[in-house]
Amino acid sequence: MQWAIATAAFLASAVEFVEALTIVLVVGVTINWRSSLVGAFAAALTLVVIVGTLGVALVQYVPIVVLRLIVGIVLVLFGLKWLKKAILRYSGLKALHDEEAIFEEKMAELRGRGESTTQLQPFGVALSYKSVLLEGLEVAFIVITFGSNITTNGGIGGIASAAIGATIAGILVIGAGVLVRAPLKRVPENTLKFIVGIMLTSFGTFWAGEGFGYNWPLSDAFILILVALYLVASFILVTWLKQVKQHQTEVIAAHKDAMVTTEQEGVRS
Amino acid sequence: MKVINAIYQFLVGDMIILTGIIIAIIILFLIEYLPLLSSLRVAMGPILIVTVLLVLAATLSREAFSKR
Repeated sequence: MQWAIATAAFLASAVEFVEALTIVLVVGVTINWRSSLVGAFAAALTLVVIVGTLGVALVQYVPIVVLRLIVGIVLVLFGLKWLKKAILRYSGLKALHDEEAIFEEKMAELRGRGESTTQLQPFGVALSYKSVLLEGLEVAFIVITFGSNITTNGGIGGIASAAIGATIAGILVIGAGVLVRAPLKRVPENTLKFIVGIMLTSFGTFWAGEGFGYNWPLSDAFILILVALYLVASFILVTWLKQVKQHQTEVIAAHKDAMVTTEQEGVRS
Repeated sequence: MKVINAIYQFLVGDMIILTGIIIAIIILFLIEYLPLLSSLRVAMGPILIVTVLLVLAATLSREAFSKR
């Protein structure tokens, strides 16, 4: 057993597992667990096929940079869509299409009755699938690159040691995910959607940047800075939109008053 | 056309977000591959972040002021 390799793989993989778990959790809580788990298991199956077919040659054949770029851009698009809706709701300016409003009301109604919608939602499945696939591939890359740099004479080899480290990290992170699942259910719906929007936009920005070959300062820890940055920007936008909404309400009220006064004057004359 | 529309609605459903992100990708692509712009490579991350924030502000502005 190569302890140094196992520890390094454990730490690096834990970061990737946490990133994948975050998306799986938010999809599970905001859409439904069926969609989230179907996406995650489908991604795990795809990973098994890819790793089983290519083995250590995976590093040469899978264009991880291109994958990061595509997943990053798609996540930014998804994230901005969710963030926009959540900010509009917080500020009191609703911008939902009727169909979406009906769908979301139905979902809220079901949740209110203690029921959950178990129907597969393509959006949720796709989000969960893409995130788990990308992060899973990154874990596979970590195991192969960390492990193949070590040559051993007998005992457990470098790749096996790295795989053990990554597996332990996976088990611990998934266990932690199961524990935080219940408290997450108590968070209000729009708050959750707002968090989802922030998380997706942050991860998307990070991965898209990496896809373009940009090295973020502090590596994966920069995701936290992105989260903070988007949170601050969102609060500023919510405050601004509330002021806009208040101004609009005042203008409408003044207009109505003027109409009533004109009508009353018309009646008197 | 229906398929394209379905993909568009599924992915983003907002023309400002889509256009803004496409512009950001084009800018970053040019910075990455044009030697003339290679000095801007260190600023690729901040450019991406600023573009994302501008896109968000632009789409929210449209929603806020179109109601007038």
